[in-house]
Amino acid sequence: MTTLNFMVGQEQGNVPVTVLRVEGDIDAATHKSLHDKAAEIIEAGSTHILLDLGGVNYMGSAGFRAIHAISNMLNDGDTPGTMKSAHLKLLSPTDAVARVIKTLGFDVYLDIYQDRGEAINSF
Amino acid sequence: MSEEPVFDLSVKASLENLQEIRLFIERVGAFLVVNESALDDLRLAVDEAVTNVVIHGYKETEGIVELHMHAEGDAVFIRIRDRAASFDPSQVKAPQLDTELKDRPFGGMGIFLIRKMTDEAEFLPLPGGGNEIRLVKRGVIQTDTSDSLV
Repeated sequence: MTTLNFMVGQEQGNVPVTVLRVEGDIDAATHKSLHDKAAEIIEAGSTHILLDLGGVNYMGSAGFRAIHAISNMLNDGDTPGTMKSAHLKLLSPTDAVARVIKTLGFDVYLDIYQDRGEAINSF
Repeated sequence: MSEEPVFDLSVKASLENLQEIRLFIERVGAFLVVNESALDDLRLAVDEAVTNVVIHGYKETEGIVELHMHAEGDAVFIRIRDRAASFDPSQVKAPQLDTELKDRPFGGMGIFLIRKMTDEAEFLPLPGGGNEIRLVKRGVIQTDTSDSLV
């Protein structure tokens, strides 16, 4: 069974940003640990999360279920004038994960960045 | 005429075995020289199918899932069998992709992805109980054209 590893960092953009880096495969066996880690971070006061997917080799629908729940937990409000989340953004998905993000339409609601600094400053 | 090799895996149907099942697809796909993006798609489709077998079929009770994979020409064929209660994918609501994330209900993404990632996805009841899922992805193997280049 796979497990997920997490690294949490605090960065300052226009607002404080929590960078949550995930390493491992996000599937039906592991997605709950991502959900629970994000819940812990939000409970501790984080309001803006950059989810770093650079270490995720595989993500199935269960991973998107977790991201959906995280978005809801952040009590998402849209950025004025767009449908994009102001509270949750994605960093460095692999090509395979990025294609599924698009297939499921999550790119319409979540900004995706390849550059960490640009992502942090976008909040 | 040489026979195409076939590959089989039989494992306990559990979420803990999803990684082993994905590795099976990756290794056989590499052996068959399936192109990388198609292999990603097949890995996803099979993972979603087996996840459904475990959660909705066996309802996380004990059972076996059997995978069979082979190539014909430039196409890959995968068969997934279980002995779980019959499953009708038409009863699964499609995800509401045009609904904003915060208003979108959970669920329906697995079957949607299986169909999106393959050229054919059939869900069939097995005589005597259980289900068979047949997946086909075409145009994903570079066929040998070396004879014409000599």
